[in-house]
Amino acid sequence: MRAHLVASVVLVLVVVAARAQQTGQPTQPEASPRSETGVPAIAATRGASAPFSASADPILHVPVSGLHPGDVSFAPQIANPLAQDPQAVTRGMQDFIQFNCVGCHAPNAGGGMGPALSEGKFIYGLSPPNVFLSIYQGRPNGMPAWSELLPESTIWELVAYVESIAHPPSATFGETISRTPASPAVEQTPSEFLQTPRPWSFTSRFSNGRQPVGE
Amino acid sequence: MRVYLLFLALSVALASVSARAENLASLSKDPKQWVMPARDYASTRFSPLDQINASNVGKLEPAWMFSVGTQHGQEAAPLIIGDTMYVESSYPNKVFALDSTRGDLKWTYIPNTNRAAQGVACCDVVTRGMAYDDGKIFLVTLDNHAVALDAKTGKEQWATKTGEINLGETTTAAPLVVKGKVFVGISGGELGVRGRITALDENTGKIDYVAYSTGPDKDVLIGADFKPFYDFMKGQDLGVSTWPPDAWKIGGGTMWGWFSYDPDLNLIYYGTSNPGPWNSNQRPGDNLWTTALFARDPDTGAAHWAYQFNPHDLWDHDEIQENVLVDLDLNGKTRKVLLHPGRNGFMYVIDRRTGEVISADPYDTVNAYKGVDLKTGRIIPNEELKPDLNRNVRNVCPASPGAKDWQPTAWSPRTHLLYVPHQHLCMNYLTSDVGYIAGTPYVGATVDMFAGPGGYRGEFMAWDPIQRKKVWSIKENMPVWSGALVTAGDVAFYGTMDRWFKAVDAKSGKLLWQFHLGSGTIGQPVTYEGSDGQQYVAILTGVGGWPGAVANAQIDPRVRNAALGFVGATQDLPSYTQGGGELVVFSVPKQEAAAPSAPQRNP
Repeated sequence: MRAHLVASVVLVLVVVAARAQQTGQPTQPEASPRSETGVPAIAATRGASAPFSASADPILHVPVSGLHPGDVSFAPQIANPLAQDPQAVTRGMQDFIQFNCVGCHAPNAGGGMGPALSEGKFIYGLSPPNVFLSIYQGRPNGMPAWSELLPESTIWELVAYVESIAHPPSATFGETISRTPASPAVEQTPSEFLQTPRPWSFTSRFSNGRQPVGE
Repeated sequence: MRVYLLFLALSVALASVSARAENLASLSKDPKQWVMPARDYASTRFSPLDQINASNVGKLEPAWMFSVGTQHGQEAAPLIIGDTMYVESSYPNKVFALDSTRGDLKWTYIPNTNRAAQGVACCDVVTRGMAYDDGKIFLVTLDNHAVALDAKTGKEQWATKTGEINLGETTTAAPLVVKGKVFVGISGGELGVRGRITALDENTGKIDYVAYSTGPDKDVLIGADFKPFYDFMKGQDLGVSTWPPDAWKIGGGTMWGWFSYDPDLNLIYYGTSNPGPWNSNQRPGDNLWTTALFARDPDTGAAHWAYQFNPHDLWDHDEIQENVLVDLDLNGKTRKVLLHPGRNGFMYVIDRRTGEVISADPYDTVNAYKGVDLKTGRIIPNEELKPDLNRNVRNVCPASPGAKDWQPTAWSPRTHLLYVPHQHLCMNYLTSDVGYIAGTPYVGATVDMFAGPGGYRGEFMAWDPIQRKKVWSIKENMPVWSGALVTAGDVAFYGTMDRWFKAVDAKSGKLLWQFHLGSGTIGQPVTYEGSDGQQYVAILTGVGGWPGAVANAQIDPRVRNAALGFVGATQDLPSYTQGGGELVVFSVPKQEAAAPSAPQRNP
């Protein structure tokens, strides 16, 4: 009985590993079916009449958890199809305002009704497909599902923007909060003065609730 | 057997009749209890208890504590009915019944509140408390359920849905029961929610009527009884005609604050929220009946009068604050008035029979308005600060949360002073175009708040509404976001976001006692008498709410515009406190002479 169980586990691991090899390649946008906007479409990668298989779309292999049974970790390398488009980040910033993301996540995504994205901490992952899926599917604690409202190209623009704003200056494992010495020591130039897809490039001294430095 | 059954049925019927006879208004006069969030229908938050007074409050010590198990902001007032205390946590809105003297847990009610509701709650996932009547506890949940529980057992009696999260609606206002009806509000002035109140039958949960804040008169329940004092509010269907076409349908005017009730005049009073969106350039017109005070007949909902504080609101100055019903001697005449500390920074004294503004005086730094014209009833905006589209208007005072937000005041009939917890903030404000997408924020403003002149961010002060001036004031580092309590012992209580719970002399403002809580507090202090004859003071800790979410949620203190701009003003709060919801109950320990205490019974 015991031997049988072990064999099953090994079999599963082999299958998982094999799949990893199959799909663990960067996607080739040229090879994928395209939507009208020139971005690979998720639904189009599977024929409408084909039987459902969770393994068919690479994006279905994107883990949202940091735990992998059997310690077999695997994340398909799905790049943002707009990664080479220098204007995508700016368009993403405009989308972020236009689709009211800014209302919940705040200007520069400092957080409010929704969590901060500026800190680079992501419950559901920071990889491009992770962020894509968080927007596409929504998340249970209050993130709406946008799949029926936004074209995939817009979501990828948003992914590019989120990637651009999510790199705070400090890179330690943890963070220290104290008044003396001041930590955090800096704050972003607030967005009533400056709208930029790279807000962490414009900072000044942390002002402890006092008037901001401004332009 | 049959006779016995008949007797049983009869006695049950009699019991319920006698329970019903326990009139809520007279119950609220019992100094031992605290039967509604404001303690009484007049919303005074005054307790006649005086065991704890200015001479002994310095000996106040914690008697017992209870964790409500959530990290988010706790704004609710505990209720005390008989020997039981009822406490409601913020989302998921758990209710706990505790022995009010010993702290033993009697029962817990856990509603199946939809977690997605958290994503459409503008300013932390708070609740402001519960109501009680006729043996039932009434709560509201963030996902818009009004629920009745058997006060003895915690058993659910009914649950009625009164709003829809996919339209951006949540419920955070404490309900109030008047004449067998449970009144509930609706939140979402930042999500284009159409504001309203809903009256439900307290026995069945059936919706009796809904009174909207915008739209045609028939929806607002404006009819023959409606007699506003000022001309600008007279006319037909002003809830439509003071808006661009159809904008009233997504125009806010929500109700997330307080109800008051005058049994003699048979009128309920409440205020409505900001219009949506915050970008005023998208909604030319007065935007009635947002930022307005309604006086309604509770039986039918019919409006008797209304008063709009901030026609065409520019700054998110909701007017949902409490209305404290008092009778004042003014110029030799006793007048039935209500005190309304305006979010716009003016302290209003209003005739509660007619809606006439008797006086309106600034009680904090105000440059957004020039004053209130008592002839026309209209506030006078400062044209120099007009928030034209895409203009960064700098240093506007008071900031969006106003000089005072939801945090309720207390009125002492002994000192004739109103005790006012409030904030002292200014802001930069930039409007931008915003499109309406149901269930998402509809704001169109970038806000950045900061400490007002003098560098302090909050104040606890006593206001004399007859002299129309501040009598004393205590400046606080952080916005004072807790409610106030005042007692016949002439002690006033309030809490701070940087973890202090304070008792001050109600006459002089002198600090008499303070205690460092586990988390900052934005709760409402209450007081009551336990079954041991001792006076207790209770408050929920758990920092949060709009100013405090930066300390309990994933919000970046380095991004000033976060949390609708409040982070600019409270970005250092995480260096004082974290979230953590806990009830703390205080008393003055009995004299040492009484020390040999009886053996404690195990619960």
